[in-house]
Amino acid sequence: MAAIISAEGVGKVFQQRVSQPGILGAIRSFVAPVTRPVHAVADITFSIAAGEAVGYLGPNGAGKSTMIKMLTGILTPSVGEVTVLGRKPQQERVANARDIGVVFGQRTQLWWDLPLSDSFELHRRLYRVPDALFSKNRAALSDMMELTSFIERPVRHLSLGQRMRAEIAMALMHDPKILFLDEPTIGLDVVAKDVVRKFLSRINRERGTTIILTTHDLQDIEEICPRLIMVDEGRLLFDGTLPALRKSFGARRRLTLEFSGDPGEVRLVGARPSGGEGLLREFLLEDDGRSLVQLLAALEASSDVRDVRLHEPSIEEVIRTHYQSKGSAPAPVTGRPAVPA
Amino acid sequence: MRETLSLLFYLVRLRVRTRLEFRASLVIAWTAQGFGYAGVFTSIWIILTRFENIGGWSWPQMALFLGFHTLGYALGACFTLVQLRGMEEIVRGGEFDMLLVRPINPWAYLVFSGFNIEYGGHILLGLGLIVWALPQVGIVWSLPSALMLFGGLISSAFITASCITVVSACALVLQRARYLFGLYFDFWELSRYPASIFAPVFQLALLTVIPLGYMAYVPVSVLLGRPVPYLGAFAPFASLAAGPLAVLAAAAFWRFCLRRYQGGGG
Ligand SMILES: Nc1ncnc2c1ncn2[C@@H]1O[C@H](COP(=O)(O)OP(=O)(O)OP(=O)(O)O)[C@@H](O)[C@H]1O
Ligand SMILES: [Mg+2]
Repeated sequence: MAAIISAEGVGKVFQQRVSQPGILGAIRSFVAPVTRPVHAVADITFSIAAGEAVGYLGPNGAGKSTMIKMLTGILTPSVGEVTVLGRKPQQERVANARDIGVVFGQRTQLWWDLPLSDSFELHRRLYRVPDALFSKNRAALSDMMELTSFIERPVRHLSLGQRMRAEIAMALMHDPKILFLDEPTIGLDVVAKDVVRKFLSRINRERGTTIILTTHDLQDIEEICPRLIMVDEGRLLFDGTLPALRKSFGARRRLTLEFSGDPGEVRLVGARPSGGEGLLREFLLEDDGRSLVQLLAALEASSDVRDVRLHEPSIEEVIRTHYQSKGSAPAPVTGRPAVPA
Repeated sequence: MRETLSLLFYLVRLRVRTRLEFRASLVIAWTAQGFGYAGVFTSIWIILTRFENIGGWSWPQMALFLGFHTLGYALGACFTLVQLRGMEEIVRGGEFDMLLVRPINPWAYLVFSGFNIEYGGHILLGLGLIVWALPQVGIVWSLPSALMLFGGLISSAFITASCITVVSACALVLQRARYLFGLYFDFWELSRYPASIFAPVFQLALLTVIPLGYMAYVPVSVLLGRPVPYLGAFAPFASLAAGPLAVLAAAAFWRFCLRRYQGGGG
């Protein structure tokens, strides 16, 4: 399939003001402000085909939001070129806006003091959604996201989880071809996160909506996005699948077993012992596709297992392990060939 | 076009409904504005009764002047003031980013979704002063003088909207506009007095770089047949042209700043 989103050698430099101490400093920085260039995004190239769901992953300040802003027409790249559905997003901002849906986890597009239904109606007019399509989408999305019980309540009275569900539903009312989400699960509790993740992967499957979401939660990627792009300090570190990431970055999932009595020497095929004492034992799991059940079935120990905990490495751990193993400056790793443009 | 208009009208309706949800605060706003104006106008009236006139202007003439100033300002500001005055926060809080991902002109969205019904009080006050003063100042009515009255008011409203737009556009680039708004209002207050009482340099400034002289001083002088410094016979045309020219300049400046928009950080 042809690429509908592409970035070629994209970079974004912000001029950040350096504040100077003291009153004299304040006056000086008013007259002749000292600025420092911040390379928020540096030389990033990727392309995404219609129907894909891609996670854009990275720690704080990695340049995720900046990339989303360039793709949605808010900012222009300082160097390089982004193309969305064949357009330059900022030059054809309005046309681009009609074809995409955007959700920023830390902002809202809902009208704070009025009921949700008014925001939906405004959205219908803004995007000129035909009546029939709008009623169909509104019914279907309200049903899927369970909005019906609070659709007539002022938005300021909704919980964060309810609001996020509404936010995402609204972004889909005009049948966008691409849905951009910047940290859609931030601040949500486990249940709400789960609802959002299931919903997004269903939308991607059933409607074929291309999804790009930024996150620093690997779990989001695991459940929604077969493909992930990882960035750090503006640079591309990895583009491929999650298992490929685990393999090449060496960050292992950690399994903790708790025994009811002294287990003696414990052997677990496909896992490397990594510590633990007393009733606890820790293992690092190989990424060989073996399931937890299979692993535990092959457990050899002289006592029963009372509890099992599986710890996913966080994005920070993944990146740390990567740097430790490389020992130097990051270079992009490609887990699979890039999609042809 | 029709769809856009109906959309903008819908935004105004939503805004009015929002404000009516908080009726009490609306009434408080009206009352506070009423007292504010009463204070300023009384002090001008006191000066007038002491000295008979300000720079040769009698009280009814002055009342027409103030009514014109208030009405022109209110007509322009009800569309632009409240929403654009918060531009600094709109930019820094990332709200402006959210406008840019929607298929609409962000200025139009801000202006119509913030339509300011609090200005009802200003409009009534301005109209009242004009209606009270007009019969007492002896204007000879003709097509040109009627045109001067209405055209001058529209020009005055345009100047207000343009100034507020220019100041708020600065926030797109500097992420700051509060101080500039303070500066604008300082000049705006000075433009409540006939420009002829100020030093010549400042008079010139009010007729050129800070076009607030056209808010009321020039059109009302023309209506009353008073001489206007620097402009002379050109004053009526300058007065009518000032508003549309200010709009063009403000629109160009807004676009210039929008192209340089670098986001609100974070
Ligand atoms: N408008 C701006 N002006 C100046 N610097 C900016 C601006 N926006 C972002 N930056 C800087 O660019 C870098 C990347 O920011 P960005 O918001 O893209 O990171 P992020 O990956 O989204 O981080 P987070 O996970 O915290 O949301 C940061 O160092 C940030 O300080
Ligand atoms: Mg971010």
